Amino acid sequence: MEYRLRLAKRMLFNKKGSLIGAVLAVTIGILVIHVNFVIFQGLFDAIVRDISNYRNGDILVTDEADYIDKSDLALANWFERIPFVQGATPRLSSSAEINMTKNGKLIEETRVPVVGVDPYRDVKASTAHETVAEGTYILNRNSVVLGNNVASDLGNAQVGESLKMLIVDRYGEDQVRRFTVAGIVKSPGGQGLDYSVVMHIDTLRDMMAREGESGSFMVKLNDPTKAFEVKEFFLAAYPNDDFIAETIEESAEEQLAGFRSGIAMINLIGYFGMMSSAFAIVTIQMMLVNGKTREIGVMRSIGAKRKDILIIFIFQGMIIGAIGAGVGTAAGLGYTIYAKETKMSFMNSIPLEVNYNWEKIIQTALLSFTLAIIASLYPSYRATKLLPVEAMRTV
Amino acid sequence: MTKIYGIGENQVKALDDATFSIGQGEFVLIVGSSGSGKSTLLNMIGLLDRPTKGKVFIDGIDTTKLDDNKISSFRNKKLGFIFQFSNLLTDLTVLENVLLPRQIGGTNGSSEKDARELLKSVGLESQLNKRANKISGGQAQRVAIARGLINHPSVVLADEPTGNLDSVTSGIIIQLMKSMAKKLNQTFIIVTHEPEHFGDVDKIITIKDGRALEGNHLREEEIIA
Repeated sequence: MEYRLRLAKRMLFNKKGSLIGAVLAVTIGILVIHVNFVIFQGLFDAIVRDISNYRNGDILVTDEADYIDKSDLALANWFERIPFVQGATPRLSSSAEINMTKNGKLIEETRVPVVGVDPYRDVKASTAHETVAEGTYILNRNSVVLGNNVASDLGNAQVGESLKMLIVDRYGEDQVRRFTVAGIVKSPGGQGLDYSVVMHIDTLRDMMAREGESGSFMVKLNDPTKAFEVKEFFLAAYPNDDFIAETIEESAEEQLAGFRSGIAMINLIGYFGMMSSAFAIVTIQMMLVNGKTREIGVMRSIGAKRKDILIIFIFQGMIIGAIGAGVGTAAGLGYTIYAKETKMSFMNSIPLEVNYNWEKIIQTALLSFTLAIIASLYPSYRATKLLPVEAMRTV
Repeated sequence: MTKIYGIGENQVKALDDATFSIGQGEFVLIVGSSGSGKSTLLNMIGLLDRPTKGKVFIDGIDTTKLDDNKISSFRNKKLGFIFQFSNLLTDLTVLENVLLPRQIGGTNGSSEKDARELLKSVGLESQLNKRANKISGGQAQRVAIARGLINHPSVVLADEPTGNLDSVTSGIIIQLMKSMAKKLNQTFIIVTHEPEHFGDVDKIITIKDGRALEGNHLREEEIIA
């Protein structure tokens, strides 16, 4: 083994306290980045997942003219012959005024969002039906499913109770119908349909006087990475229509923009943490250099050049960086695996979407390794400045 | 050469135009009372420090003209050091300590064989793989001698090499240095305050008031001091 590396290693390993301290500093720096990533990127991805699963799919098709007049069958069949497509379903949205009598008391809720779904197609393209906490999903044209919050606002509406719903149609006429509550949906994190009323799309079309029309088409893919490809293919297939097709990143951009800035800020805090660990390495290595003044003097007196001393202490930085990066990455991965396996949730609410971002994991390890080397430069330089005769006086 | 420490009113003249020459293969003692400048002189000869005025010639080379890198190489190849407290690197084994000057100089070749032979000649063949802090003071000083000789230096400099040892061990170390000097025809320059322990030597240089005088010019009480 190269003598400078051997000396660097021995000097470091014989000062176990300093070694552990320095390695811990790097490890904590990396761990902070990993924990931030798991929690905040996991939260971001969870919100994207839920928006995709409950509302927008991987591709959301709308029309410049507000409503899509192409038949559900035509569009759904077109999408579903593409192998990447899991399902495609129409959606229609409006808002309603709801009246419900509970214990002889009339409860009225206005401007409640209403989502019309095709129960047959929706289960293939969305997981909204999996959020049913009580009762069932849409049974027939006369039943509705209430979001948990809507049910609560209606005085804890129960499955089987009836309610009256008023929707203003496209001509400005009030359309009133009575519905039975088939189920109540509740999603962790509230990204689902908790604030809406879900009904059969044909019923909503009737009430809105929008026969055969849809507000949007939600397309779910087997492989979400193909979203852009499918979207472009779709737009190319319908060049003369005024369709707008957006991937989840595009359709949810408004909702996610603020969150992206938050993640950038959190990452920045993580990197500041890593910088702090670099300062800790500087301090610990300065202590190591001060503790090895006599050895430096001896080596200089028997012919070691300043360059040799510099290399010995930079090797120490590399050893600290390598061990710290290894331990930190292992600890970070351990935390990530734990978060994934236990389906960790944010504040006991939305389950985090934990992914292994290998590029970021390797990037973080390399960055901390590099920072440890950079941090060792100043102590190493100071070591080279020791004059042999001065160093020997410390005996 | 002259060496002045400090500036202005705080100036201290450690060496005052100390001039002398030492021949190849001579065994030389430098004596002087405490604080007389013996170690300062040895540091100048060993190129660990530079004189304020004057020059140090070794093997006909004006060492004061060498830059830091060349001085390091010169120290590695031409000079051997033996310190009072042996100054071994405690992170290394006995063998690794002896090998260190060779490795620093970048000349490996038969290094390990040479180091083993040297350690055998100082009677430490059984201690090769012991950590340097696990051997006795006398053994450590013998390792230091082996380390000082591994690169076959022209000049071996020793600063109070027996100052930290009992009289029996001191005697062994002195005999070892003398036999090595004779065997390898190397110049030994030894700073000591116990010249009488060395017996016959080629030359004694006395440092008095910063000046170098040939011969032992110390009075009994000055030696003790």
